[in-house]
Amino acid sequence: MNLILIRALAAFAAISIGSAAFAGENLDRIMKDGVLKVATDANWAPQSFMNDSNELDGFDVNVAQELSKRMGVKVEFVTPDWSIITAGHWSGRWDVSVGSMSPTKDRAKVLTFPAIYYYTPASFAVHKDSKALDKTDLNGKKVGATTNSTFEQYLQGDLVTDAEGAPPFTYDVKPESILSLKDSSAVMDDLRLGDGVRLDGMLGSLPAISEAIKNGYPIRVVGTPAFYEPLAIAIDKGDDDLTAKIASIIKEMQADGTLSALSVKWYGVDYTTVSK
Amino acid sequence: MHIDTVVGDRLVHKPKFLAALFAAAFALFFAINVSDTSLGISLASLIGNMVAGDAYGRGIIALILAAIFVADIAIIGFLPLRAQLIVVWLQLAVLFLAFFLVFHLSFPFILSKLRFMIVQGVVTTLYVSAIAISISFMLAIAGAIAKLSNNGFAIAIANFYTSLFRGLPLLMQVYLIYLGLPQLGYVVDAIPAGVAALSLCYGAYMTEIFRAGIESIPKGQWEASRALGFKFGLTMRRIILPQAIPVIVPPTGNQFIAMLKDSSLVSVIGVWEVMFLARTMGTKTFQHMEMLITAAMIYWILSMGLEAVQSRIEAYYRRRGAR
Repeated sequence: MNLILIRALAAFAAISIGSAAFAGENLDRIMKDGVLKVATDANWAPQSFMNDSNELDGFDVNVAQELSKRMGVKVEFVTPDWSIITAGHWSGRWDVSVGSMSPTKDRAKVLTFPAIYYYTPASFAVHKDSKALDKTDLNGKKVGATTNSTFEQYLQGDLVTDAEGAPPFTYDVKPESILSLKDSSAVMDDLRLGDGVRLDGMLGSLPAISEAIKNGYPIRVVGTPAFYEPLAIAIDKGDDDLTAKIASIIKEMQADGTLSALSVKWYGVDYTTVSK
Repeated sequence: MHIDTVVGDRLVHKPKFLAALFAAAFALFFAINVSDTSLGISLASLIGNMVAGDAYGRGIIALILAAIFVADIAIIGFLPLRAQLIVVWLQLAVLFLAFFLVFHLSFPFILSKLRFMIVQGVVTTLYVSAIAISISFMLAIAGAIAKLSNNGFAIAIANFYTSLFRGLPLLMQVYLIYLGLPQLGYVVDAIPAGVAALSLCYGAYMTEIFRAGIESIPKGQWEASRALGFKFGLTMRRIILPQAIPVIVPPTGNQFIAMLKDSSLVSVIGVWEVMFLARTMGTKTFQHMEMLITAAMIYWILSMGLEAVQSRIEAYYRRRGAR
């Protein structure tokens, strides 16, 4: 009697846990439908944003388009909140995230990272009126970062990037308090209000900060980059065939210079290898 | 509020009141020092050469502004009620828009984005809200009838429903439905998930409104229709609801306006409605303020539309009640 009950419970558990994708299932679906569904955060220039003709554009968007072209399928973009993308359990809503995602240990529990496709320096920035000369001047100050980002984890002293090829780093800044905001533009909007008004400084990706400075934000970068962030393409857990397929395509794109060209197009610099 | 027929002097025409108002306005304008603003500068050029910011110039400008303000109030006092309404409303709106001008917005940028904002954003916002409104309306009627029934199961289910969906933040409901349902094996798209969350949440609020409206009809009405041999459905349709609906309409209109704006929460799951576009379209060029203010105006105009519909429905029931 007890045995039957246990078996029934086990069967039930198997059904409810068994929602993870089976090997090759996602790749088969992509090929069958002829569409690669790409999740991207539409609020992150120049990686991905809405351009003048109200279409998605940017480095990540171009990489995704190239990826789908080489897979021989059409590309379709969806724009859920970033935290929904990083939470995993996509249940086939979309197939891949080309969203400059840092492959952290926590994310690796729910996602698979087939390939690192570039590295961006993470830099501290302050208002231009600030007296800070180096990032260490932000010790004990109020520093802003995007919620759930590697920048926030760095500030919390809790950053693990265990991807291959990621250069080592040290924790140079211990802020007094961390202001965690929804996206990098919100952080920069708070910083531009003035030195110490809401923030004394921020940590963010150097390309995003440079883009803001180019658009007249009264902020400047201090010190050398805090760390180099390896950025990866992510897929839902458990599809080895799709992992292999994407990894080989990214290798191809690195080898024939396509990735470097796209990086120069959007950032003016080749970020696809760590430049020390 | 009842307005009686005792005629007295208007407050805004009493010399004492006007003098006090003038003194207060003068003190205020003097304290906030408008000489550096474009308003102060244009006034200064009218009066003649004055050193900007010096106390004498500051005093003159404050004096002029206070005089304009008091004269404005006194003149409005002479107008008939309807004209007063319109004039005061327009003046407040102009002041509010002038406040936006201070941001130095780029209007060409707004114009270049406005079309997409309406074609994509407003259309999505409207149809998401419209579907959610009709579903929540039906949920609310069912919920109210269940709550007022004498069936233990129905009462318990309806109670649980209103308690749960009024008790959770709407944003959390959006996440729970969008992220939770796939765990059970049912993958729901962003728009249906958003519509479901909005309908369930507002259905719960409106259940309570409908229940209170129906309960506000005296017991005698039920007893009388029962005495005439009316069954439940007929009593509800012909006796109770026609009396309850005028009570229900104003708070329901409030709920619809609130829902229209809360549909912005659906943006977190990637639906391209007004709020999503407002956050997204200014990103590349860092023109967030432009898009946020445009979106604010759009929501305001849409709400005014709903307000107008609501007041027409109220007027309709007032006429019927008067007959």
